[in-house]
Amino acid sequence: MIIEGGIVYDPINGVLGEEMDVSIEDGRVVEESRDGEKIDARGMLVLPGGVDAHAHIAGAKVNTGRIMRPEDGRRGTEARTKLLRPSTGYTVPNCYAIGYRYARLGYTCAFEAATPILEARHTHEELEEIPIVDKGALTLFGNNWEVLECVRDGDLEKLAAFVAWGLRASRGYGVKVVNPGGGEAWGFGGNVKGIDDPVPNFGVTAREIIRYLMRANEALRLPHSVHLHTNNLGKPGNYETTLATLRAVEDIASSRDRQVLHVTHMQFSAYGGTGWRDFESKAPEISDYFNKHDQFTMDMGQLIFGSATTMTADAPLEYGNARLLKAKWSNHDIELEESSGVVPLVYGRKNPINAIQWAIGLELALLTEDPWQMIMTTDHPNGGPFVNYPEVVALLMSRSKREKELATLHDLASKRSSLPSIEREMDWNEVAIVTRAGPARILGLAEKGHLGVGADGDVSIYDVNPEKVDPSKEHEEVKAALAGAKYTIKGGEVVVRDGEVVAVPQGRTYWVDASVPEDAEARVKADLVEKFAKYYSIQMSNYMVQDAYVTRPRVIRAGVI
Amino acid sequence: MKKVIIKPLREFWVPVEAERISPDIFAPLSIEEIRRLEVWEGNRKVTLSDLFMISGDDEPAPPGDNEIVLSGDFSRVKRIGEKMTSGTIVIKGDVGMHAGNGMSGGEILIDGNAGDWLGREMQGGKITVSGDAGEYVGAGYRGESCGMRGGEILVEGSAGDYLGEHLCGGTITVGGDAGDFPGIGNRGGAIVIGGNAHLPGAEMASGTITVRGRARVLPSFQRLETVEIDGIRFDKFLGDLVDDGKGELFAASVEDGGR
Amino acid sequence: MIIEDVLCPFCGCLCDDIKVEVEEGKVVGVKRACRLGSSKIRGHERIRAPMVRRDGELFETTYDEAYDRAARILKGAKRPLLYGWCSTVCETAKKGILLAEEVGGVIDSTATVCHGPSIIGIEEKGLSGSTLGQVKNRADLIIFWGANPAEAHPRHTMRYSSNSTGMFTPEGRRGRKVIVVDVRKTRTAKNADKFILIRPGTDYEVISALRMIVKGKGDLIPETVAGVNKADLEEAAGMMKAAKFGSILFGLGMTHSRGRYKNVDNALSLVADLNGFTKFVVMAMRGHYNVAGFGQVCAWETGYPMAVDLSRGAPYFNPGETAACDLLGRREADAMMVVAADPASNFPRETVEAMAEIPVIQVDPFPNPTTFLADVVIPTAVCGIEAEGTAYRMDGLSLRMKKVIDSGLPTDEEVVENILDRVRRLADDN
Repeated sequence: MIIEGGIVYDPINGVLGEEMDVSIEDGRVVEESRDGEKIDARGMLVLPGGVDAHAHIAGAKVNTGRIMRPEDGRRGTEARTKLLRPSTGYTVPNCYAIGYRYARLGYTCAFEAATPILEARHTHEELEEIPIVDKGALTLFGNNWEVLECVRDGDLEKLAAFVAWGLRASRGYGVKVVNPGGGEAWGFGGNVKGIDDPVPNFGVTAREIIRYLMRANEALRLPHSVHLHTNNLGKPGNYETTLATLRAVEDIASSRDRQVLHVTHMQFSAYGGTGWRDFESKAPEISDYFNKHDQFTMDMGQLIFGSATTMTADAPLEYGNARLLKAKWSNHDIELEESSGVVPLVYGRKNPINAIQWAIGLELALLTEDPWQMIMTTDHPNGGPFVNYPEVVALLMSRSKREKELATLHDLASKRSSLPSIEREMDWNEVAIVTRAGPARILGLAEKGHLGVGADGDVSIYDVNPEKVDPSKEHEEVKAALAGAKYTIKGGEVVVRDGEVVAVPQGRTYWVDASVPEDAEARVKADLVEKFAKYYSIQMSNYMVQDAYVTRPRVIRAGVI
Repeated sequence: MKKVIIKPLREFWVPVEAERISPDIFAPLSIEEIRRLEVWEGNRKVTLSDLFMISGDDEPAPPGDNEIVLSGDFSRVKRIGEKMTSGTIVIKGDVGMHAGNGMSGGEILIDGNAGDWLGREMQGGKITVSGDAGEYVGAGYRGESCGMRGGEILVEGSAGDYLGEHLCGGTITVGGDAGDFPGIGNRGGAIVIGGNAHLPGAEMASGTITVRGRARVLPSFQRLETVEIDGIRFDKFLGDLVDDGKGELFAASVEDGGR
Repeated sequence: MIIEDVLCPFCGCLCDDIKVEVEEGKVVGVKRACRLGSSKIRGHERIRAPMVRRDGELFETTYDEAYDRAARILKGAKRPLLYGWCSTVCETAKKGILLAEEVGGVIDSTATVCHGPSIIGIEEKGLSGSTLGQVKNRADLIIFWGANPAEAHPRHTMRYSSNSTGMFTPEGRRGRKVIVVDVRKTRTAKNADKFILIRPGTDYEVISALRMIVKGKGDLIPETVAGVNKADLEEAAGMMKAAKFGSILFGLGMTHSRGRYKNVDNALSLVADLNGFTKFVVMAMRGHYNVAGFGQVCAWETGYPMAVDLSRGAPYFNPGETAACDLLGRREADAMMVVAADPASNFPRETVEAMAEIPVIQVDPFPNPTTFLADVVIPTAVCGIEAEGTAYRMDGLSLRMKKVIDSGLPTDEEVVENILDRVRRLADDN
């Protein structure tokens, strides 16, 4: 296949809006294609396929959202066709809708952000049903008893061996840490108040958990860094916890050519104020810190007005949300490992808190100078559903759009944030970084996020001419073009044409197999045998995700030997 | 006034979904165009004329100046008058589920009985039933926090369980008995029940419920005073206090054993 | 040969520690399972061959003819009902949903006659739950409400709840309090620290009274609530608030008495309220070993956990209208496929009469009263013994069931797939 004459942005390979051809063969980008298929992309924007590094798209939490929200299910209902299964849902779409909607946006890869090992089988059952996109799942470690005990005992080698084992058991891709220590405390209805508050019954602190997991992560040379959801997330004044967390790990070095820590959905962790009354943005402080510390990355967690379904392993946060909003509340605690919660809510333009939150996400993205450090997400469906990505891109590219939106919001959005004064408008190269190249590099996906030879043949083509359209002024055109790709090409196959899904191949699932010294593994196994005998409610032999649940694996090797 | 008359050609067992039977949709159409409208009998997509005999005025008319007369057994025909904004539907016979779903204006007159979910998520207009109505009159969709938000439903006979579940506005009047949990989760609106009711107003936050007959009242309602309305003495309750509700419940007679 | 850690294909406990002894392709011994599970694993009377009904009598036939008949029945129906799916693995459910899409049918599970109301309650409030191991390791108060695990889930108390031991519960039963709320003194109630006898159909009122007391408004409620003394309720509420980790485990006594899903709805709110004071979780005691699994699969595939009407190609969900009993009760289904269930035994009488009037296809390893109503009978391998696949325990935890012996019979999944293939071929012919 040859994609002819498009205006290509490929930041990883230094291509900045050049008119050029892209050739794909056997699913990969090649120098020159021999077969005859031609795609005319003249006058169109050509980007590597989109990569979503953080979304909640599969597993127990997501399905809990569907089950408790039939009222969301009926939104976005589309009947089946000869090619497509039916679609339902807006914030919690069914599996098919997730795949189709990503593809229509030009996205070809999406990572589920949080899966407990014990329930990873379920996560993979859903990932297997999501069509078209490649995917992977991050595995939760921040409240796991074995982790807490290794940290307590100062046994880094055993911790690294357990992380490797947990990734294998869950067929997971990376180390996710959510409200470290707080999830365990929630087992008896408690929480931790900050990074130095001891976890009940274990005597360790979040600071220690994060540090140890980062050191284990780097000892294993995993493709992705630790992926952190901070303590105190969602609370006024939490930017201090966020900055304290980052300062606590400044001395840890990355083992690979990537960040040493990714702090996710930063919008929810950049709050000032002593309570909701004096709630304000501290995005400038956070971005300022990032501008001076290039070893850290973050994603936006941008808020979208309207319906959302919050879902997180941060269970105490969700209980607080539900009580505050008198909303439906689901909670699910997982023995020895994690807790989680799901709460539906509506973000309102005239709600002062929501309006400020909206501004914070954009401030973070625009005040952080290096786009490689700050990628775009809505923390789907926490900040809002991923189908709104074109809206977010339009906001990043157009100050006049931001001003237009601000005028419809509660006036505290302007008074308690610096957004009105921010002039920056991202260009297409920066958009390509925050939606493709950045997420791929942060995740450590060598074949994603670019169009160099050997890259996956994942390409999105949009009917917008970067040489003619001024995104600053014509932001509505930009948004419309991004909402329905002219073509989405996945592994060299056209899967979307004119915004409609035309082919439904099945994507692959990334997971990381990290090797560790045999004696360390043996020490972990001994611990686990005891834990299964005494504490788990299932047998150890039935725990690990079987191969039957990952039918198209893409295994990335890592480890210490 | 444009008038269209519809009669079933046969008896239905498999339910028919006919949301296109609405004054808004009929208004600009000729009889021939109305005959070609899509309806579903189970999983079969057919035209209105495959299932019904249709006659009446051929000329277009504004939606408000439009009457549809349904004559016969429509008890298995669902979603009649869904989302209608004006005009009138007269049903001479029983009507199936979801009549007047989400309607915001106009009037539905049912000379017979109505099925479940009558006036579900209704926003305005009026529905009158001469006979009985099924369950979930004026209720919401599963999982939603609001059912009916406005308009008026009058059932001259009795109504089934969950009458006005999650009512957020409008009024519902039932001549006879209501079943279990009328007005559960109410956040506004008014319900008047001529006969008896079981556990009215559970979890209501606001709104009023009046039971002219006997009610079994939840233990989480606080008896305030006795009041006289239209010559009848009512016990007035505040509730539902499980959620600090400020709803008002009036019951002419309170069942023993409840509270 | 002894096969370890086999999953039990009986109840929602989905015990995964069973030892099965196999000799010459037959199960000869079962260890650790309860009486109910052991009996199923050891095996009992099976359907010998596919059958079709001619002139009112079932005759043995080939699988091909049975598939063909089944496909023609489903394809010819205007409102086919595809029901069951709970004593089989998730892989069957996936194919079943696809088949329902293909024939424009309504798909529903046995939840409709067990914990369907619980799910509707969850749609109103959400559910504060946990895995069973969390109860095992932490719970110091267990409340069985309308549930009698001593009879229905025999190993539940030992493995997961009142009698289990764990990290923070080393004393097991001695370190715990158990409250039972029921309409009669069950075997479970006899072992409780406190038993509250309630009148049938008054669950909702009793829960509302408990919520009032928990929230400090007990002075506003009357001295007796539906026959229960306020003092008893105050004592129970005191135990709840004093617990470090409480759990309400509820059964059909709550979901199938007057009030139905609203009872569950109110219980979920009670648990949410209690979390303002201490840690509390709530869980449905699911019956069939994979009734939870069908709900999960159906939710991720269609958006809804049960009672999904696919007749217009887009999923539509509205229990009360689209559940199996609704369709049969109104006599609107014109064909029915029953997979791994026995509605003839479990459904209300008028719905079984409706089944007798329409063509019924049965897919099941075992003969049961539904067989007498069936026009096509297709025997299959027993999941978890003769076929592997996924099942979800009552707490939503998924596990992989093993195949321990080979029956030579097609699996449920294969049968549904074969029927699906034939339905598609019929569609192509038209």
